[in-house]
Amino acid sequence: MSWDSLGKGGRWAVGLLLAVALLLAGAVAAGSVAAAELEEVVARGELIWAADQEGGGPHVFLDPKNPSQLTGFEVELAELLAAELGVKARFQQGQWDRLPLLLGRTADCVINGIELTPGRQRDYRCSRPYFAYALQLVARRDAPLTSFERLESLGPHGRWRVGVLTGSAAEILMRGRAGLEVDVVGYDGTVDCLEQVTTGVLDATVLDDCIASFYADRFPRLRAVDRPQAGGFYTILTPPDTPHLSAKIDEALGRLLTDGRLKQLYDSWDLAGRQQVLLLRDADEIPPAPRDSWGHLLRSALPLLLSAAGMTVLLSAASFPLAILIGLAVAIGRLYGPPLLRPLLAGYVEVLRGTPLMLQLYALFFLLPKIGLALPALAAAIIGLALNYSAYESEIYRAGLKAVPGGQFEAALALGMTKWQALRHVIVPQAVRIVMPPVTSDFIALFKDTSVCSAITVIELTKRYSVLALSTGRIVELAVVTALLYLAMSWPMALVSRWLERRLERTGAARQP
Amino acid sequence: MITVESVAAFRAGVRVLEDVSLNVPAGTVTTLVGPSGSGKSTLLRCLNGLETLAAGSVEIAGHRLTAGPQSPRRLELLRRDVGMVFQQFNLFPHLSVLDNVALPPRVIRQMPAAEARAQAQTLLERVGLAHLADVRPTALSGGQQQRVAIARSLAMEPRVMLFDEPTSALDPAMSGEVLEVILGLARAGQTMVVVTHDHSFARRVATQVAELVAGRVVRQGTAAEVL
Repeated sequence: MSWDSLGKGGRWAVGLLLAVALLLAGAVAAGSVAAAELEEVVARGELIWAADQEGGGPHVFLDPKNPSQLTGFEVELAELLAAELGVKARFQQGQWDRLPLLLGRTADCVINGIELTPGRQRDYRCSRPYFAYALQLVARRDAPLTSFERLESLGPHGRWRVGVLTGSAAEILMRGRAGLEVDVVGYDGTVDCLEQVTTGVLDATVLDDCIASFYADRFPRLRAVDRPQAGGFYTILTPPDTPHLSAKIDEALGRLLTDGRLKQLYDSWDLAGRQQVLLLRDADEIPPAPRDSWGHLLRSALPLLLSAAGMTVLLSAASFPLAILIGLAVAIGRLYGPPLLRPLLAGYVEVLRGTPLMLQLYALFFLLPKIGLALPALAAAIIGLALNYSAYESEIYRAGLKAVPGGQFEAALALGMTKWQALRHVIVPQAVRIVMPPVTSDFIALFKDTSVCSAITVIELTKRYSVLALSTGRIVELAVVTALLYLAMSWPMALVSRWLERRLERTGAARQP
Repeated sequence: MITVESVAAFRAGVRVLEDVSLNVPAGTVTTLVGPSGSGKSTLLRCLNGLETLAAGSVEIAGHRLTAGPQSPRRLELLRRDVGMVFQQFNLFPHLSVLDNVALPPRVIRQMPAAEARAQAQTLLERVGLAHLADVRPTALSGGQQQRVAIARSLAMEPRVMLFDEPTSALDPAMSGEVLEVILGLARAGQTMVVVTHDHSFARRVATQVAELVAGRVVRQGTAAEVL
């Protein structure tokens, strides 16, 4: 069987399978890379610690008075620890829910409010606790949410919408507790949650008590509701194969705890140092969780992955036709519309093309509610994708319209058609045929770009995979399942694009002698 | 049927017509001859408003064009009564031959699709191409394409037909079949203006010949007088 005999769809599939194989090989290779052990850290003279500065205060954040300066109690803790190891501390930025993926690659350890859980005990080396947290419910002062128990019955608008940091203990608590009438929405940052509670998109958020009190002044319309719920401890993560580094970090934490420096640090951040020290001293050991069997993992993960794949399909199928319609309208407006409209449309295209999709989604979802226009996340995602891609589509259609020979327009006008009749019946049908190949390839691009929507709480396949992989520790196995799901979706798309191309050849593109 | 009075026109800032006057009675055929660049095509395009008049006026099939831009509505109404056939045919490549001919009345006059297609079939028979109704224009020879273009113009039942060098893009064998169709129209009493380099054809078809040189009508009369 030759390469050509495979046909377009076949070659596509082979390409995808190759990509999956490469990904697997990469994952296996990554697993075998030795993590930076203690000797290497010492030789390097730097302890590289990972955190997310977007995660906010009081952990790690940019100093509002000096925005180039990173500050937070964990920044100071990292410096103390590094000094104990006889090295300097170096910060490595990462997205909070994916920080553990940096371990052994670009970071020696993660210090960023990582809760000590049985799952993490199983998948990483966890240091002894360095901070005790409790989970606090926060709502608007004027909201009818007066106690945690109130979440057990429906609110004035049905189920309560509660935001949590994706992958956090708050998410585990809210998703795991039985009897709550709550829709849990995962965010990438706790400050985003607080913003969305203020604007009314969310009814409440659950976050670590230290964060709630840190931001209390910045969000005066919010208040802590009820006593803190469940709590636990923060731990420093190191890779599984670094026993020496992890032991050294435990020793150092022990010294900081007993000689009063940790208390001093927490007191300076208004974090009740004495209470912290007492809680940390008496913390119980948490045993690691058993690893799920492969069958059990599939049974629990597959339905979640499938519904996330459904979301990926929904996002692409709903946004792309909109993008095409808007793009075509913009292209026609720029070429044939009133002269006053043309620079406005050109501006529309340049703004949408010149700014990142992520930023546009962010604006739609987080900024519009500030002017009283709260869009549901799914609507914001579809509109955002449609607007962003409409700019690219309009440029493709503009090229397509210009590629139709000028004699066509003249012939239509000479018959007595209006400008719009000529466009509708003569010019646009030909332009659509000309641009079919680039438009199809744009659809595939959009299909993949749907993963950006996870930034505004829409859980599609890539996001669902990353959450599941981190919570179960089955990173490679779930990657295979996810890749197969993507293949199952892109395969029919390849078939459709092939069918369209064949149809295009039969009907003939605009060719004039 | 057509009265051209003291028309001047510019193309790309260059004066290409100056003080042109012409009269075409109903049921007659006028051919415009002259060297390349003499303005004969521009004059033809002035007759259906594809070019804007810089001065003078045109009356055609009961419509009137004056100097300066005309309203789109006025041009649309005029062009429905004035068909035009181009040197490069300009058939619509995304439609079948039959749909090329059926499209104008369907879109412009809201004629029901079945009726438009039946009329198109009749017109294709008239130009001898009924057997090619279902193929794409790109599969046709140049001569066949030009005959379809004529049928497409006739579908609007125009009172005047304009031909802009209808055989210049064709080799002699193909020109013949197109010229036969035009002669047939002339015999049926269709008012026509034909721009052509083909003097023998002009002699056969023309009631009147106008010769243009450098944007002016230098001679006007019967074919025998002018050619």
